[in-house]
Amino acid sequence: MTALAPAVARVARRAGPAWPLTLATALLLAALVLPPLAVLLQVSLTDPNLDGSPGALTLRHYAQLLDDPHLLASAANSLVFAACATALSLVLGAALAWLVERTDAPLKPLATLTTIVSLGTPYILYVTAWLYLLGRAGPFNEAWRNLGGAGNLVDPYSLPGMILIEGFLWSPLVFLLLSATFRAANAEMEEAARMAGASIAATLWRISLRLAWPAILALALFVFIRNLEAFDVPVLVGTPGRISLLTTDIYLATKEVPPRLGHASAFSMVLVLVVAGLLVLYGRLARRAEAFASVTGKGFRPRPFALGRARPVAGLLIAVNFVLVLGLPLLALLWVSASPFLRPMRWAGLPSLTWKHYRAVFSVPAYVDLALHTILAAAAAATAAVAITAIAAWLAARRHPGGPVLDQLATLPLVFPGIVLGVALMELSLRLPFPLYGTVSLIAIGFTIRYMPYGMRYAYAGVLQLHRELEEAAGLSGAGPLGTLRRVVVPLLSPALAAAWLFIFLIAAKELSMAVLLAGPGSQTMAVAMFDLWSNGQGGELAALGLVWAALMTLVATAFHLLGRRSGTAAYGR
Amino acid sequence: MMKPPPPDATLAVSGLRKIYPGGQGGVHEAGFTLTPGTFFTLLGPSGCGKTTTLRSIAGLERPDAGRIALGDRVFFDAAAGLEVPLDRRQIGMVFQSYAIWPHMTVFENVAFPLRVARDRRFSRAEIAASVGQALETVGLAAFAARPATRLSGGQQQRVALARAILRAPRLLLLDEPLSNLDAALREEMRTELKRLQRQLGLTTVYVTHDQAEALELSDTIAVMQAGRVVQMGPPRDIYLRPRNRFVASFVGATNLLDAAAPEAVAAGAIGPATLSSGQVLQATYPEAARPGTRIALSIRPEALFPGPAPDGWNRLEATVETAGFLGNLNRYKTRLGNTQLHLSTSPETLLEPGCPVTLHVSPANTLALQEHP
Repeated sequence: MTALAPAVARVARRAGPAWPLTLATALLLAALVLPPLAVLLQVSLTDPNLDGSPGALTLRHYAQLLDDPHLLASAANSLVFAACATALSLVLGAALAWLVERTDAPLKPLATLTTIVSLGTPYILYVTAWLYLLGRAGPFNEAWRNLGGAGNLVDPYSLPGMILIEGFLWSPLVFLLLSATFRAANAEMEEAARMAGASIAATLWRISLRLAWPAILALALFVFIRNLEAFDVPVLVGTPGRISLLTTDIYLATKEVPPRLGHASAFSMVLVLVVAGLLVLYGRLARRAEAFASVTGKGFRPRPFALGRARPVAGLLIAVNFVLVLGLPLLALLWVSASPFLRPMRWAGLPSLTWKHYRAVFSVPAYVDLALHTILAAAAAATAAVAITAIAAWLAARRHPGGPVLDQLATLPLVFPGIVLGVALMELSLRLPFPLYGTVSLIAIGFTIRYMPYGMRYAYAGVLQLHRELEEAAGLSGAGPLGTLRRVVVPLLSPALAAAWLFIFLIAAKELSMAVLLAGPGSQTMAVAMFDLWSNGQGGELAALGLVWAALMTLVATAFHLLGRRSGTAAYGR
Repeated sequence: MMKPPPPDATLAVSGLRKIYPGGQGGVHEAGFTLTPGTFFTLLGPSGCGKTTTLRSIAGLERPDAGRIALGDRVFFDAAAGLEVPLDRRQIGMVFQSYAIWPHMTVFENVAFPLRVARDRRFSRAEIAASVGQALETVGLAAFAARPATRLSGGQQQRVALARAILRAPRLLLLDEPLSNLDAALREEMRTELKRLQRQLGLTTVYVTHDQAEALELSDTIAVMQAGRVVQMGPPRDIYLRPRNRFVASFVGATNLLDAAAPEAVAAGAIGPATLSSGQVLQATYPEAARPGTRIALSIRPEALFPGPAPDGWNRLEATVETAGFLGNLNRYKTRLGNTQLHLSTSPETLLEPGCPVTLHVSPANTLALQEHP
């Protein structure tokens, strides 16, 4: 024992004064992140006993999975769906971001408005709006029939329909992220090209696009991964249209009686491996994008490109995007929420508009509980995720020993598609000696695990912007690691942490794929309740509830936007 | 490429105005005419409008008023509603950040103006020859194939220069091109810039806040303050004959002593100036003064001599306060009544702190300056 003490002291000295903090953070992260992975692996490799506990080892689930001809079809559908939707959202989002950030195009606020509203609106609400718009009673098919066409012009329950809807869903986020890229870019790079005699088109093609290319490529891969994991559109559009995708296959396997958990777990493991591979690729691309990011000059407010005669066209593009991504769905939802039953949009229907769906929403106390559950779970998850990742990001960014491990642990949940994490947490919680399955707490834990990587990104970037000497001065003044963290780092980091909190809150509040597996009858979240309403054919009530909720969340999203703009200007220099 | 400049490369800027919403920075009134081949420097503190002036000439900003012409080509005329787009002005420009495109090689960066040229198509051989010559001129011939991301600051600077002169522009604009370099490299590039400008005979507009750079490089300097050109002239005039207090203190170090004119003095004449202590000095008045006009006497630290001096020089009885040895010179702070007087001497001249000293300065180097001329 006495011989051990100097050795421990030596290790502790090398690990630096922050090692107890590092160790505690690592253990906490590991306890959150590793069990879901372990349980998936175990269930996928064992035969269940009659009581549901894991039995003998087997590769049966994997063998069945690979034998199933259905898998190939689902995989192909998933790939086509993810790739095409990514391309669509990228073209829309990138064009919009460039027009808004670098030209004198009119109507710019419309693009920002679209983004803010879409940040807070559950995807499921958008999807139902589009299903109505493109559906049999929707204005497109109605116009087609009025023009003398037979049957329906478009069928939303098809792969192209799914791609269209998913592409629209993602374009605001692409716009948001690429706006930052274009804003941070050194405008002198483009000005130099113009001075060298290049036209606007040549500058755009040879300089702007090429410089943004690594960032666009990295973003494309990120959106592709998220589209591969998508659940809302596949289950709402694909399943009724008999188009199976990987995520919906997993979901349906857990909903069979008895649930085929081994099958779902093996399926999940395969999906986790695919996503992990893509994430490694993404990491490389993102690093290259950073190497390309140029140092800006004195931060002169760049004069945006004068589009001249093309200006009205640019304005039209922005307006059309606004109508497609926000205007039409909103109009459809308003119509549906105020109509007594599902019917086409017609002037003749105006007199019979009704408040009954809104009255229903406000008179049923269960809806208030629903809102409270959702806010509670999202807020708890945002708080926990931000608290843990703020410490982990500081330790990692300041290269404390063990920092890289913290970084990897906190980023690991990116490999879990929502549905997969849902399966894992379901299996995990069913084995616990105390009842956790079906509670709001479990959903909050799930959100925390799933969205920690986002907290990490915000906090890490925030720490990198802090000058190291601020902390060293605190250390020289006698503050320990915890004191430095509490009195210097966290206060200076607060804008980044607040942005992270709001972002996680917003995406958690609209999450469906994981919550739908974990929610019990008394612990539904808003998105899950909307899913149920949709499944029960209560479209009117769904639209009314969704609009009220979206209005509330738009307020939060506005706060997020304002905060980002304030701290964004500080980061980008004027 | 290295032809003498066309005879009509006269840059004429008049009545230039550009006010930003919010009122920070911008130009209130700027005008100048440069003979071809002039190295012209806009000098001033940040926010004085020098960069806005440069960017207006480039076409990167649209002025609110004024006229900009190069020879017989009018680039901008607010009254006539005329504006030539920046990509049609055929001006070479080096940006503060150099703006070297990281996704291209050195060769491609320099060749860019020919690749996007719309007046004619250039053959591969023509492009290779022009780029080769431009790189030769800036001393980077061996670097053509190198990726732009693998260049030092000085090399990026040279690439930016090569790109700017590739199409033999009639005008070269340089926006604080040396501010991102370290001190030693800055010295080297200063010489290099001057050599290139002479060799190519290019009319050049240079923006800087570094007075040493401006004095060494320029044929003509325009000192700007708060959006206006306050003095324009050759470097010697700017330094030795500043027109007002601001120019004297911004360009080089100087002592400013509060004084008043006891009688009327004509512009350019030598006349008496009364210090607050009552002592009367003989000073040069760049502007006419009336009896009682408040003035600041500007005396450069190196114009003061502690030794014997010719008749007619001003004598100042001061006390040495502190001494500092800088290698190439000694710097002293002395006290004259209730003001401080800075003095620089040769390294051999030694003065003891605490001792009285008699300082001499010629009337030509004692300038009676007014707040605004």
